[in-house]
Amino acid sequence: MQKDIQHIWFFQHPPDRVWEFLTKQELLEKWLMENDFKPIVGHRFQFNTKPKVKFGFDGIVYCEVLEVVPFQKLSYSWKGGPGKGKIVLDSIVTWTLTPKDNGTELILDHKGFAGWKNFIAYMVMNSGWKIHVKKRLDNLINNTNAHKSTGI
Amino acid sequence: MMLSKERLTINALAGNFDMSRPAVSKHIKVLHSTGFVSIEDIGRERYCTLNEEGFNQLQNWIHYFDRFWNKKLKKLEVLMNQHTKTKRKK
Repeated sequence: MQKDIQHIWFFQHPPDRVWEFLTKQELLEKWLMENDFKPIVGHRFQFNTKPKVKFGFDGIVYCEVLEVVPFQKLSYSWKGGPGKGKIVLDSIVTWTLTPKDNGTELILDHKGFAGWKNFIAYMVMNSGWKIHVKKRLDNLINNTNAHKSTGI
Repeated sequence: MMLSKERLTINALAGNFDMSRPAVSKHIKVLHSTGFVSIEDIGRERYCTLNEEGFNQLQNWIHYFDRFWNKKLKKLEVLMNQHTKTKRKK
């Protein structure tokens, strides 16, 4: 099962140029979505797009800038839901820029899908449970076999 | 995955694990708050069922955004190349 998203892209442009497209509201709008982004930590902003009713998504992404390292790293929270302030998607988007020969490597990480934290907790818990269940089952099988052999 | 096949009471669940009933109850509450487990009160008992939709919804989101970013990054690449060309012309 997939739990994180990562995309690595190479652009034949220097990091400061790529940075502009990630942080200038009017440029960001051209390739991503309508927004009121500002590259200031703590700034709350929104992306607006078409609603996806099927996913329980009203088309508004609620974000807060978490980290700004000019020309290197940008991170914001990425939350959404069916409307009326209900959040079902709680995740974090991080952009990392690395200068390369003749350009920039851009890494997008979209992770921390909130449900997954609980899912992992669930799996960990579940594996603990399984061991106990297996023990009980083994005991049960052994006991049954013992009974059988006495029966024969 | 005990809950995947049947509906169990919290007491019945707790009986299967080396955990106190309140501890099991706490885990179930967390799973319930995230939509992974449904809780239904029948009579005096509380029954739990694994809610597959909770898992599926998360997978839907991830698949959706995976495609979304791929599309957007392609768009960004085209846009940046165009911008640079127009700049150079000037």
